[in-house]
This record gives sequence, C-alpha cells and structure tokens, in this order.
Amino acid sequence: MSKLRETLAAGAFAVVVELKPPKGTAVTEMLAPVSALKDRVAAFAVPDNEHARMRLAPVAAARLVQDAGGEPLVHLTCRDRNRLALESDLLGAAVLGLENLLLVSGDYVTLGDHPQAKPVYDADSVQLLQIVQGLMAGQDSAGHPLNGNPGFFPGAVVIPEADPLAPQLLKFEKKVTAGAQFFVTPPVFDLEKFRLFREQLPLNPVKLLAGIKVLGAEEAALAAAGQWRQVYSLPPDLVGELAGKEPEEVLMLGVAAAGRLLKQIKEEKLADGVYLKAKGRTDLLMKVMEEAGL
Amino acid sequence: MIIAERKPFAEIKAMVAPYKKILIVGCGTCVAVCLAGGEKEVGLLASQLKLALGLEDKRLEIGEITVERQCDLEFLRPLCDFTADYEAIVSMACGAGVQFLKQLCYLQPIFPGLNTSFIGVNNEAGFYTERCRACNNCYLGVTGGICPVTMCPKGLLNGPCGGTIQGHCEVDPEKECAWSKIYHRLELEGSLDKIREILPLHPHDRGTSPGTVIHPAFKRRYGAHE
Repeated sequence: MSKLRETLAAGAFAVVVELKPPKGTAVTEMLAPVSALKDRVAAFAVPDNEHARMRLAPVAAARLVQDAGGEPLVHLTCRDRNRLALESDLLGAAVLGLENLLLVSGDYVTLGDHPQAKPVYDADSVQLLQIVQGLMAGQDSAGHPLNGNPGFFPGAVVIPEADPLAPQLLKFEKKVTAGAQFFVTPPVFDLEKFRLFREQLPLNPVKLLAGIKVLGAEEAALAAAGQWRQVYSLPPDLVGELAGKEPEEVLMLGVAAAGRLLKQIKEEKLADGVYLKAKGRTDLLMKVMEEAGL
Repeated sequence: MIIAERKPFAEIKAMVAPYKKILIVGCGTCVAVCLAGGEKEVGLLASQLKLALGLEDKRLEIGEITVERQCDLEFLRPLCDFTADYEAIVSMACGAGVQFLKQLCYLQPIFPGLNTSFIGVNNEAGFYTERCRACNNCYLGVTGGICPVTMCPKGLLNGPCGGTIQGHCEVDPEKECAWSKIYHRLELEGSLDKIREILPLHPHDRGTSPGTVIHPAFKRRYGAHE
C-alpha cells in the first residue's frame, strides 16, 4: 500500500516533494533529494513534461525514484497521449509498482518548448480519472476486460483562487465523482484566500495537499513589474520584500516565506498535507522543512 | 461558413513561376464573403502577378474566372472545357474546392491560392472567428450554445482547466475562457444541471476522415450506394 495513502488515511500531515526530471539523461541531480529526504516525506512527485516542456518520461523517472528508496507520485497529463497511450502507460506504471497518480489536463503546448506539437486531449482530467477507475475495476475505456487489474491511488488538481470559482468547483465535484482520492493545489501564498476556499469546498472525504513554492528571482521580478499572470496570487508585501534583491537572497527569502506558510497551514490544519516545490534542490527543500519545524 | 486567408504573395509567385499561361479560379461563396478568394481577390492576385513578373521582364498570361462554388459539381462542370487552354490553375477556393476542381481538371497542375483556416462566423467585414470543428457529435444543446470542442483550445468536455485567469484563457489571454462562458450562460438559463453529469470520452471515430454524409433521400433513390 502506498505510503502517501497510508499517511493521509491515518490523518497524519503528508509532505510531498516535487522533483525536476531532467531534459536529458543525467538523472543524478533529479534524484539527490530522494536520498536526502526519503525518510522524512511521504512521496516524491514526478511531473509530466511540466509547463509543456519536454523532459524525462515520468514513469521512468518514478521507477528511478523507487530504486533510490523513495515513493513516487506520478503525474500523467492528457495533453500528450490519446486514450490508448494513457491506458498503456497506466498499466506500465502499475507493473512497475507505481501507485500514486496525479491526473491533469496539462498546460497547452503553445506555452511550452514544442509550440508546434499536436495537442492531444483525447480525454480530459475527469475522464482520465474515470479511465483509472475502469482499469482498477478490470476494464479498459472501451469496455474490454483486463488480464490483471492495476491498483492506484489517484489524485487531481483543484485551483483555490480560480476566477470564476464556480466552474472550478463544478469540475472539482466531477473529479470527486470520478474517483479522485486527494487534491493538490497550485502554490498558496495568500492564506486568507485559501481559508475562504476551504469554506466553499463541499464536505467530502477527499484529502487536500496545499501547494508550497519557493519563489525564484525571475518570478519575483515578474511580480514586481506587475506582469504576474498565474492562477495564484502573491501578496503585495511579499512582492515588495523580494523586489530588487539578488537571486540567492530572493531564494533565501522565498525559503523563509515557504517555511512560514507551511508551518501555518499545518498548525491551522488548513490542509492534510503540502506539495512542496523548491526547484528540485535538496538544500532549499531541507531549509523549508527546517523553517517549518518538520 | 469556411474562412480562409490568401497565401503570401511570394509563395503563390514561386508556385506559378514555371508557367507561361495560368488560370486563376475564384470561388463566389464563403471565401468571397471573407475577402480571400472571390472575384475581386482573383483580379487583385492577377494584377499583382503581372506587375511583379513585369518588373522582372517575364511574361505571364493570366485568365480569370470565378464560379459560384468550387465545392459543387453543378458549377464546376462548365469550367472543364475552359481550363484546357491553360498550363496550370490557381484555385482561390477552400481546400475542398481546390480538390474538387483538380478532380475534374486533372490534366493540369493545380495550386492553392489560399490557406483554409476554419469554420467560422463573419462578425463584421474583415473580422472572422472560429465556431465549429465539424466533430460530427454536437454538444451545443448541453453546453449553452458554446462549443467546448472548438472554443476551449483543449477541447475539454467537463469543465475548465486550471489555467483560467480572471475568466480568460491560459492559451490566449485576449480570449474568454469557454467554460467560464458556458457556466455563466447555463446559470442564466437556470440549467446548470446539464453540465453536472460527466460527459464521456468523445467518439473520435465519428470524425474519421475523409467523412461522408449520405442523405436518406439519396439512399432511397440510389440504394446501391449504401
């Protein structure tokens, strides 16, 4: 049984750390946080061509994480595969012992580094959750029986600061119906907004992992220039604090902010765990956890 | 209607460069409305070619003709004899028209004068936007008259992706999020229940190309075609 599932089911605070699969075959750096943190976190997330930028395949990367002693959380995007490829990759994940899934639609191809690629989206994230349920029940999406059923712990994404929020909540409900067991949010910086979102969530047993992110100098500069265009907002005082600082100093301030947010989310029980993004760097990840008292 | 844009002049000029006598065939329906391939645009292209080649001391004889619709045999048949005198044809129709014309006038090479863009609407002269992907499985009755297959770049059937920012699309911030609009419309109609059910995977087999539609009356008359 997955450690992530066990942690969440036991009501313990789950920490998931995001890794950075390489653009290439050099995997040492990607795996560095695994050996350093495998005993302190529930899972290591492996994004799937994040931001539509081509990188090492998540199922392969996840297997390496497993070999290094960590428990992977495999992202799977609808952007790059039709239903046959999604299903066969899911079976592939299952036979490699990969259980935790984060099922997403995926950023559009024109936003990434292969803007002329054909976008697929044969399934959307709700339908992909249904596909996973079907496979677990022993049949593929065309209704054909499987010879050996996979077991998964499927999760999905929800956007607390979506504007408008109502269509997002409708999709959230569909994802719950389609079998999502846990949800991951984009980075949370504004706790007041996050509290309001929590109040609007329908009562259900699904678990919520709040996104925590260490901001970098580029992001700080964008925000300071008023060009921030993300599905999460940055409080003006944080933007002001980071403005004009040297890159390493921004990172250190970003680590401190991430640590504070993580600590408060845990103390206030605003989420069942966190999904921590710190550029895949062991030093930053450890400092955030240290700041948060984990 | 079909929306198209004329190909860049240099591309057309290069295509017809080997020939001394060409025919430019316009189409008087969709592409005439969107100011890309009607009678006026045929005349404009012919003049541009003559001028440009004249500056290079080359001579190109150009015939011009525009038919009502190049996608319709009724209007194409009379062209067959007329085209025999030309070495090559430039069709200013959509991709369907170009292919249909070549099917009839198969002796000469044919070149497309346009790039076919989409099925769309004429907002006003010169401003055309896409509305339909011809997926052969219309959802408009469920989604408040806004097509999720076309108006959402990802073609998502069960709600917005996570990229909506202030009601606008992650792909093009100038465009409204299709699912924000669908939700808003259905809310106004009081029929949000229509989108609470999960829509199943899209039947892409219905859109396998090349598509064929046979009207029931045609089937009755020419049963052998079934």
